[in-house]
Amino acid sequence: MDLPLLTASFAALALVFYVVLDGFDLGVGILLFFRPEQASRDHMVDSITPTWDGNETWLVMTGISLLAAFPTAYAILMPAFYLPVILMLLGLGLRGVSFEFRVQMRKHRRRWDYAFAAGSLVAGFMQGTIVGGLMQGVNVRNLEFAGSVFDVFRALPLISGLAVAAGYCVLGAGWLFLKANEPLLRFAVHALRSATLVFISVLFVAGLTALRVQPAIRAAWGFHYLALSILSALFAVIAIFLAATSVGVQPLRPLVAGTGLFLLGMAAIILIIYPDIVPFNLTLWDAAASSASEKFVLVGIACVTPVVLAYSSYAYWVFRGRTPAKGWGE
Amino acid sequence: MMDPSVIARTQFAFTVSFHIIFPTISIGLASFLAIIEGLWLKTKDEIYLQIYKFWLNIFAMSFGVGVVTGIVLSFEFGLGFARFAEIAGPAIGPMIAMEVLTAFFLEAGFLGIMLFGMNRVGPRLHFFATCMVAVGTLLSASWILSANSWMQTPDGVSFQNGRLVVVDWIRVIVNPSWLFRLPHMFMAAFLTASFLVSGVGAWYLLRGKYLAFARKSVALGTAFATVLIGVQVFLGDILYGTMLHYQPSKMQAAEGFWPKKSQSPAPYYWIIVPDQKNERNRVAIGIPWLGSIWLTHSLRGRVAGLSNTPPDRQPIMGMVFYSFRTMYGIAILMFAVGIASIWHRLKGTLFVSRGFLWLLVWMTPCGIFATLAGWYVAETGRQPWVIWGMLRTADAVSPVPGHAFLSTLIAFVCVYSMFLAAFLYFALRIIRRGPMEISVYAEASGSLKNALRPYVLDSSEPVRR
Repeated sequence: MDLPLLTASFAALALVFYVVLDGFDLGVGILLFFRPEQASRDHMVDSITPTWDGNETWLVMTGISLLAAFPTAYAILMPAFYLPVILMLLGLGLRGVSFEFRVQMRKHRRRWDYAFAAGSLVAGFMQGTIVGGLMQGVNVRNLEFAGSVFDVFRALPLISGLAVAAGYCVLGAGWLFLKANEPLLRFAVHALRSATLVFISVLFVAGLTALRVQPAIRAAWGFHYLALSILSALFAVIAIFLAATSVGVQPLRPLVAGTGLFLLGMAAIILIIYPDIVPFNLTLWDAAASSASEKFVLVGIACVTPVVLAYSSYAYWVFRGRTPAKGWGE
Repeated sequence: MMDPSVIARTQFAFTVSFHIIFPTISIGLASFLAIIEGLWLKTKDEIYLQIYKFWLNIFAMSFGVGVVTGIVLSFEFGLGFARFAEIAGPAIGPMIAMEVLTAFFLEAGFLGIMLFGMNRVGPRLHFFATCMVAVGTLLSASWILSANSWMQTPDGVSFQNGRLVVVDWIRVIVNPSWLFRLPHMFMAAFLTASFLVSGVGAWYLLRGKYLAFARKSVALGTAFATVLIGVQVFLGDILYGTMLHYQPSKMQAAEGFWPKKSQSPAPYYWIIVPDQKNERNRVAIGIPWLGSIWLTHSLRGRVAGLSNTPPDRQPIMGMVFYSFRTMYGIAILMFAVGIASIWHRLKGTLFVSRGFLWLLVWMTPCGIFATLAGWYVAETGRQPWVIWGMLRTADAVSPVPGHAFLSTLIAFVCVYSMFLAAFLYFALRIIRRGPMEISVYAEASGSLKNALRPYVLDSSEPVRR
């Protein structure tokens, strides 16, 4: 059996789960910036309260599977993305703390709301920066990172950071569309439309920049012309649907559509970089640890992942439907 | 300019030190809670339930902070020490993955029931959940101790084409030092919890509040501490012998002697000012004869000094020595508290001796400091190696410039200060309000468990959530 491919598929799946699950609650966090009234912000946070903190565990899964199964890739990518990874972790940490404080304190809740929003924005933006940095290509020599830690703050990564942050806002707005009550529903529709427009225009610029800075991406367009065109067309159709959302649309649809956009984007990225794990430098098999390590990890994953998935689904099921105006607590 | 390796190590030391405080508390409290709930089920005495509910809140908070700060560590191996991650990844990566999975499993299954399920699942199943959480924290600790012990005493691997390959998982996991370091860490966590419990109880007694709760806490806490410190001293002695065998330089540095053979009889040093370069002590103050008696178990035995180790393989003596003395000094204090508690118990003055109660209050966080000091012995004493005999720390550092490490270190200090402030604020608030106010489980932690709870702790402000 092809163990590296199997392990990499799991790592990719964990990342998909992370983006799909944490994406919307980061988005809701960012959208807090746009609601001046305390009541709306409270309602927005209430909508993600039950489920948000379990979502980050998928990110850890991705990181750890990389360390255990692809140590060479982990050792190249972590220094290369040193600053965005740490800023992302700090952003996520800030979210955690400000969440506790905002619940506990009435007086300065507004301040903690903005800290929560800032943490979400930083985390989302930095995740986009990392994706952009991957597409830009990492400077590797002798299986070691040989670039500067500031390489990741060039045009493409920064534009990608903006794109992902906007994309998370789309997901967040989709979530609010599903979970929130009037008058936030109206806000969700506005946010959906504007975030989608920003998302696709920034992403378009990011795509053009990527083609310009990374010859391997131009080459990939050559190989996968058909597949990438189909993905792009689907992407455009869904984006148009989202930009045209109105209050009457079936509640779940915008969130599903937004998630669809992310899945298409990730599919395109995988298509472009496969079979590399450090894009345009190192393949899965070159970076893989010995099969003893991969087997160990895979057995653990096979035992635990079903339980975690079942529990998560149950949690979402328990808190289905619109968020009560008084929150879930009562 | 700035040496990246020094700052990278400072950053890792800071983040990992901060992290270990919280797992230590939650490992200790989880087992304590399991025992308390067991006692409650057996005796049906409501006081145990009150103690359970009270400490469950603190447990939930430490668990939360432990998770958040642990996430950082799982990335930091590569961020700061890429070469280490690359070489050691195949061996320690899967063990850390198992730890993460164990934690997930807990989070997924039993923690929710433990925190909020009492009224939903009934006491027996709830007790089972508590026990599973306790077992889970111990299991998590086992994996982490395996990974760290492998760095101290690596085994079960070979190098093939310049890459580390695991040849025997059993020897990687059950490596030579793990067997003794694991129970040592368990005892450290249990002692930490015991002193937290007795310290808070003593404070209530001094204030004349919640007397029934406070007496039980002091009685239980000191009883556990007395037994545990005895076991801990015994385990520590065995571990000392093990490490003397595998890492002689660590123990040489810990005792503060430089000459290959110390004077006879050897003193037991408490204060030294080492001159690492010239391999001598500028100042050395100790208790005569005691070194020979404690370390060689004879009246006039000589103790081996750090000069037995070549200079390029020596750890920094001052760090190892003072960490070891801090741990050891606290252990002696704990032992004294244990003896004093037996004395007061026999005299019947355990709950009224103000001096002893104040001592307990002051000792509340002592387990945390001893645990930190013990880890400093383990980690600074292993230097200059990151993987003993295999990879030097200086060669493991990522190709990241010093100023980048420095700026992120400052950012970590700022954000972690907020974590600490939050933890202390909420923990002290729980303690100030006392056990009577605890009508529900677990202080806020933005999670499923939290949302499931029926009421909000803060009765003064009708919080809408």
